[in-house]
Amino acid sequence: MKSIFHRSIFAFAAVALLAGTSVVNAQQQQDKNRALKKYESGTKEFWTHPPDDWFLGDETEAQKGLAPPSGPPTGASEAELANIVKKIKLPAGFKIEVWAPGVLAARQMAWGDKGTLFVGSFGLGNVYAIKDNGGKREVKTVLKGLNMPTGLAFKDGALYVIAVDKLIRYDNAEANLDNLGQGKVVYDDMPSYAAHGWKYIATDKDGWFFLPFGPPFNVGIPPTSVSQIRRVDPKTGNAEVWALGVRNSVGGDVDPRSGKYWFTENARDWVSDDLPSDKLNMISKIGEHFGYPYCHQGDLPDPKFAMGHKCSEFTPPVLNLGAHVAPLGMKFYTGDQFPAEYKNNILIAEHGSWNRHKYQGARIVRVIVGPDGKNPKQEVFASGWLEGDQGYLGRPDDIILAKDGSILVADDWAGAIYRISYSKK
Amino acid sequence: MHRQPVSRALSALAFSIAALVSLPAFVAHAADVKEKAAVCAACHGDKGISQTENIPSLAGQPDQFLQWQLVFFRAGSRKNEQMQPIAEEIANEDIRSLGAYFSQLTPPKGPEDKDPDLSKKGKEAASGRRCASCHTDSYAGTKAVARLAGQREEYLVKALHDYKAGQRVGGGVAAMADIAYSLSEEEITALAHYLAHLQ
Repeated sequence: MKSIFHRSIFAFAAVALLAGTSVVNAQQQQDKNRALKKYESGTKEFWTHPPDDWFLGDETEAQKGLAPPSGPPTGASEAELANIVKKIKLPAGFKIEVWAPGVLAARQMAWGDKGTLFVGSFGLGNVYAIKDNGGKREVKTVLKGLNMPTGLAFKDGALYVIAVDKLIRYDNAEANLDNLGQGKVVYDDMPSYAAHGWKYIATDKDGWFFLPFGPPFNVGIPPTSVSQIRRVDPKTGNAEVWALGVRNSVGGDVDPRSGKYWFTENARDWVSDDLPSDKLNMISKIGEHFGYPYCHQGDLPDPKFAMGHKCSEFTPPVLNLGAHVAPLGMKFYTGDQFPAEYKNNILIAEHGSWNRHKYQGARIVRVIVGPDGKNPKQEVFASGWLEGDQGYLGRPDDIILAKDGSILVADDWAGAIYRISYSKK
Repeated sequence: MHRQPVSRALSALAFSIAALVSLPAFVAHAADVKEKAAVCAACHGDKGISQTENIPSLAGQPDQFLQWQLVFFRAGSRKNEQMQPIAEEIANEDIRSLGAYFSQLTPPKGPEDKDPDLSKKGKEAASGRRCASCHTDSYAGTKAVARLAGQREEYLVKALHDYKAGQRVGGGVAAMADIAYSLSEEEITALAHYLAHLQ
């Protein structure tokens, strides 16, 4: 590592001298080079204690300075939200409104049987319960201090929360919103890495949970316990490794037509603004490998980690969604309110870029595709949350169907839940 | 340990604030933000400049940074036995108005530097650790990143120790824990001295 660095400095100095540039300039350039952080993320030492700024360190000079943006700490005010929804573009006949403000860092949503909407959050560690009191929603923080409780599910009266390395069950949750208690850890065979350790829960027809396990870095040879999707039985704590070669997935849903699991996946960073593409995948059979870290977007061998592997060895994506769009929560549309052609379409919440020079994503995409995954089509369903080249009004990150067939959308930037409905008039 | 009388005073204060918060009158209005900020003044000092050991000055901190800290205290993701009860019931509107209020106050000026050699060491450490790449060249901070210039010296030492020990993580993806992890005691002393005395 060190010797390569020195060699490149010597090479640079030689070029500079040849070009007749002064040594002072070379020195300045050298300082600039030095300021660029570099990690050797392909080593075991890197992932046994991932540094807190693990998401940097692979960037190039051109990408230096791009860092995750920080949203408004208290979300958007009600007045600001009223303006935001006016800017959202939707197909004809659709309408967006603010369903609940003040849901800070809102992530995955899950319905209780009695109509409570539970919402997870990112770094804040909160889980919220939202009750609909005749048009006015009451947002209550029901759990605090959890480790990135981004994923939730509700099953047999119990609320399940996934907080990095603990799947916790809170029994009879809707009757105990004032005090959910400590809960019971039902599955904990998970690494504690915070990096890409936040998760999402999708429940299949047998009541097992699909859980994603991201690698604790941007790109490298992952520890064997991660870069995979597991299928976990919350009753027994039994689990099976369902898919391999998955980078950072924070969204998925079970196809109502086939029972197969589809999931979104965020591709590696720091190749370029336009490569590689984020993906929509489908698992056809247990044990499939989706390419990471060897191959990205189905056709791009990793410049360093391909290590002789070919893209043809891996399951290609159903669809490439675009670079740095950050697809997160997704749902098959199974309701009856939207026009008939939306039936069984996939709606994907794209969180948007953080390290692309011009942000893209921050929208909801509609994917029209059969159960076999062949000939997918995508179109933008809802957009308008981007502001300028590197600004956000909001960042959609999850979608859930409401009983009436409308959809709710979680936004962790504006700290709000929106409702999108359709009416023929 | 000066801690006890202070914390007793604080819990009394927290109690009175909790009472205030529960009143419907405790709704943000630009006019009464000063009144609410007066509660903070008991510890954080008149005009946001702290005269109390281990309590930071708030004057001139970036608006977003102040708001984030209140949000972290309220959520319990930043732990502090004095601040948590105070922030527990605070409304979003109040967090916004307090952030705006303190960010507009004139920041503290560093006192006269009686140990310029130590400051020199601190300056070198700050450069080596690339502090300015987030905290800005003037160390006035920006957005969610704290102002360091003119902050109380012993508080800076405390904050760096909290990061080093993993008791404080900072913003969701902040690099402070990573940087402080490898800081030596000597560096912490020098950094705090240098930053506290910046004019």
